[in-house]
Parts: sequence; structure tokens; C-alpha cells
Amino acid sequence: MKNFTVKKLLLPISEYATVSLGTTLFDAILALEQAQEKFYHGKYQHLAILVLDDEKKVVGRISQHRILKAIEAGEELSKDLSKLKMFNFSDAYIENIRETLRLDTKVFTQQALKKAAGKKVEEFMQKPTPDEYVAESSPLDIAVHKLVSGNHLSLLVKRDEEIIGVLRIADVFVAACHGMKALNIGEK
Amino acid sequence: MEKLIGQTSVPIQGYAMYEIEKIFNRIIQRVNINLRDLAFDVSPFVRDHINLEKMSEFYAFYGITTDIPLNLKFIHSGLAGSYFLGNCRISNSLLYKSDIRGDELKRKGDTFQYKHFSIDLAKDELIDIETSALIKTLVHNYSHDPETPERFFIKDTLALDYSNIHGAPSDGCFLGSFATIDLTTMSDCVIGQYSYIQAGEINHLNVEPGTIWVNSPGQFNFLYQYPIERLKQYIHCSPEKGPTGLLIDFIEARKDAFNTIFDAVNLEDTIKVPENASLDRYAVVLPSTTISENVLVAQRAYLENSYLGRGANAQEHCFIINSRLEGGNVTAHGAKIIEADLDEAVFVGFNSFLFGKPAHRLTIGKGCVIMPHTIIDSEEALSIPQDTLVWGLVTNQQELQENSISLENLKKIETHTNQGNMFFEGSGSTFVQAFKDRIQHILEVNGAFFHEHNV
Repeated sequence: MKNFTVKKLLLPISEYATVSLGTTLFDAILALEQAQEKFYHGKYQHLAILVLDDEKKVVGRISQHRILKAIEAGEELSKDLSKLKMFNFSDAYIENIRETLRLDTKVFTQQALKKAAGKKVEEFMQKPTPDEYVAESSPLDIAVHKLVSGNHLSLLVKRDEEIIGVLRIADVFVAACHGMKALNIGEK
Repeated sequence: MEKLIGQTSVPIQGYAMYEIEKIFNRIIQRVNINLRDLAFDVSPFVRDHINLEKMSEFYAFYGITTDIPLNLKFIHSGLAGSYFLGNCRISNSLLYKSDIRGDELKRKGDTFQYKHFSIDLAKDELIDIETSALIKTLVHNYSHDPETPERFFIKDTLALDYSNIHGAPSDGCFLGSFATIDLTTMSDCVIGQYSYIQAGEINHLNVEPGTIWVNSPGQFNFLYQYPIERLKQYIHCSPEKGPTGLLIDFIEARKDAFNTIFDAVNLEDTIKVPENASLDRYAVVLPSTTISENVLVAQRAYLENSYLGRGANAQEHCFIINSRLEGGNVTAHGAKIIEADLDEAVFVGFNSFLFGKPAHRLTIGKGCVIMPHTIIDSEEALSIPQDTLVWGLVTNQQELQENSISLENLKKIETHTNQGNMFFEGSGSTFVQAFKDRIQHILEVNGAFFHEHNV
């Protein structure tokens, strides 16, 4: 187990759901469904989509959480509210209004869902931060530290400067479980 | 009564135009340098909009009174069509049809109270305009900055048509058309058109057009922002066309009346004015208008077919047309009241546009406060109950509900509220009291209670 590297567990980018910049949220969901249908490694399905630029480089990632945030109009309202800070309103006041607006906004209406479906992925994708990358040659320990400390669901795996795959938290979790079971802790 | 002396009008030719262009370019550069952090370039808003040829077409005026210090210094500047009163110094600047009113400046020996500081003045306060271009701008009141109590400075600043710099020292700023900065020191800021800011001190802010912000830190904070697309029909500034919209059209349609009174040396009295009322010689008064006792009508005010009850005042650049003001009303700088009936003690803030129609007049109840830069463009008859605060854009009853609150309910707010595009944090009662105190002060200094105080 301690000799495991990221390379052992990564999923190649070719097996992942990918979309290009400019894709709508609805088409991104369809791409995820297609990728899930084709995927047959293990019992954990794909839960995220990678966004590629014209040069096929990964420029963003869309998780289920991001998709739900895009559907919830409260996210847009929050953007408008952020300007209140410039006008000396307190953080407590801004947060209070943000929550009130969120609770007052209906999500499952035809109008809201239709509007969300047409959003472009670049409007709601998460741009990778430096702590989300891991080298394919890194020990799995490093990957676990990064997943836990950054609260990430996956890491982007690099070979030199190129992103070649994704390391999912589910696969690392399975590896950790297998490692524990191999110790035969329950046996007397 | 003020007497006036004029600056001779001469055509600008050759070297003079070269110098004016040099001043203008320097002003643009200085403002842009100050606004570089905001990445804001004023050039597109002024290059084709300001016609430097016009700097020779109009006289400048200086008012002389017995009780205001006489001191005007202007150096390397153009003052076309502008009016000055009191202690003023203008250098390396271009002022076009602007009013620089030093009648409320502090005087040597006065004590200026700022929070717990009692600040003694060692000399008369001075309005000091340096490397700035002011177009049809009103400069009034006095410096509320405790750091410069004797110098109300306007430096490296460019202000467009009908903006107000009211008790607000300014350094490195741009004000769009109909913008008002009130009792606030500002540096390196952009104030978008039709925005009203009263916030004590602001730095490095780019304020969007149609922002109404009244902030007294620790006490209250009020913010409203106009729906920008709807504001454009009233006022819009584009590099191609300059300021456009209904507000500009409204004023342009009446500018000939002002040309008449500014061109004439002697004017015939058109109206009987009570002895204890004050009608400025440079106000337009058209039939059939009634001015009651203790009324004050400032210069560049426009009255037509209206009634001003006892103690009402009409400040600079305001228009009151086909309307009735019962008395004790404040119509602040640039406010416009058309086809409306105002009960007693109604306050109409800076640059508000109350646009009733003959078929459905606007009625405003006693003691109402119309926030600065409010637009009521009624599509139906609207009646505002007494003691109501109104703000923002109102065209019908539904919008009136959304953009108003009774003063009684506002006083009950202790922490915060929000209504439509309006956000409020702090003490509602302190906010109401601050407005009421200021209204009372305005009425007092404008002579509304003259008789009561002198019997």
C-alpha cells in the first residue's frame, strides 16, 4: 500500500466526461450521462465533468454541486449582493439578505430550469486551483493529504505539464479500505 | 441684494484657444492619472462633448453683498457664463455656466463642530478650484472635512452637466451628468450619472450610474440602485452623444428663458413679491406664479404657473411648473416638480424629477421626504400619504409601494431591512431624525421662519 503511486489509481482523461468551453449546462449533463454509461470500472460512477479549451487543456471542472449551484438562482443574487460590501454594509447584513433571497427563490420551476439549462459551462465551472494538481508519480499519501486538506472530490493528475487523468476520492477511498482489510484487523 | 460685476466676453482666437486647449488637456490628464487604479478614462466623455469655442460666448458674474467677503482670484482659467459669490480662487481651470456659491462658507472666528472636535477657524474659508473642469455644475455649502476646515478644495476634478458638489471637497474625481456628491470628501472616485452620494469620506470608488447612497457609519446606511436600462431614458452618457435623455431634453426646452434674463441688464418686475420673501434676479418666473411670505427663490430656479406657500424655498436649478406647494417646502438643488400638489413641509431632494401629468396629477402628503434623485414619472394618478419616505423610480402604484415606507414604520427599524432594490442597515429613527434636522436647518437658513424669529 505504501508504495502505491497516483498512477496506479488514476482514470485516464479519455474515460472521463469532457466538454468544451461554450457548452451549455444541459449538454454537459448529457455528456456526463454518456460517460457514465460507458464507464465500467468499479461501482462508483463519474460525478464530474472536465472542461477543455480549444487546445484540449483542462480549464475547469463541473461537479454535481456546481450544477446545482448554477440551477439555484440564489447564486446570481449573491453576485449582486457582493457589491454591498463596497458600500460599507456589514458581512452579517449581507449574509442575512443572501439567505433570505435564497429561501425565497423557487428552484424547480420550468422557467428556472430552462434558464439554468442554457447557461454556458464557463459561467459556473470551477477553475482548478494550484492545490488540485498532483503528479502521476506522487505517492498516494500526498494525494490523500491534498484531497483531505483541500476538501476536494478529485485531483487533476499531471505528467510534466500535461493533465493526463483524474484521481477520484472514491478510488482512493476504496484503496484505503482494501489496505485496512489486508491487515486482518478483525482476526484473533 | 447682490450686485454683479462681469468678465468681458471676447472671441477666443489663436494663442488664447491654444492655451485653453492646453488647460483642458492638462485637466483630462490629471483626472486620468488619479483614476488610473480604476482604469477609468474620462476622455471619451468630454473630448467631443465639451465645446471649447463656447468658452468665449458668455460673461462670468461675481456677486457682491454687504455681508459676504469679497474675494475672487482667477488665474489661467476660463469662467464662461459662471457665477461666483464669496471667497473663491480658480486656477488652471475651465468653468462653463457653473455656480460657485460661497454664501455658506465658514468665517474667521467661527467654530466648526465635527463629532467631539470644536475647530476654531483662523481665517475665512475659501473655495479653491484647481486644475478642474466644471460644466454647468453647482458648488455650494462648505467643507465638511475636519482636516481642511478653511479650504473647500476641488482639485483635478471633472464634473459634467448639472452635477452638484455640495460641501464636498474633491481630489481626482469624475462626476457624470446630474451626479451629486453631498457633505462627503472624495478622492480618486468616479460618480456615475444621476448618482447621489452622502457618505462622509470615500476613496477609490467607481460608483455605477443611478446609485443613491446615504451612509453615516455606525448609525445608518441606505442604498438604492436604479435599474440601469430604465434610467437611460431619463439620463444616459455615451461617448458618441454626451449626456442625453428626458432630463436633458426637459432643461434644454427651457434654456431660452434663462438666456433672456442673463442677457438683459435691467429686467422688469414680472411678479409682486412680499417684502420678506427673496426672489433672485437670475430666477425665471413665468405667469401665473404666486410667491408668499418667507419664500426663497434662488438663481437659476424656474417657476411657472405655480404657487409657493409661506416659507417654501426653490433652490438653484430647480423647476416648479403647474404645481402648488402649500408652504414650508424644501425643493433642493436641481429638483423638478411638474403638475403636482405638495402639502406642507414636503422635502424634495436634489435632482429629483417629479413628473405628474395634467390628466393625472401627483399628490404628496404633508411631511413627506422625497429622497434625493428620485424619479416619479406617473403613468396614473398617484397620491403619496403624509409622512412617507419615497426613493428610486416610481411610475405606478405598485412601484410606489415597493419604493416607499412610512416614516413611522421606518423609525421602528433597529437593525436592517430591504425592499426591492433598496437596502438599509442601522437605526431607522436616527435616519429619519437626521433628515428632519437637515430639513429644519435648510428652512431656517433660507428664512422660512423669518417672522417667528424676529418678533
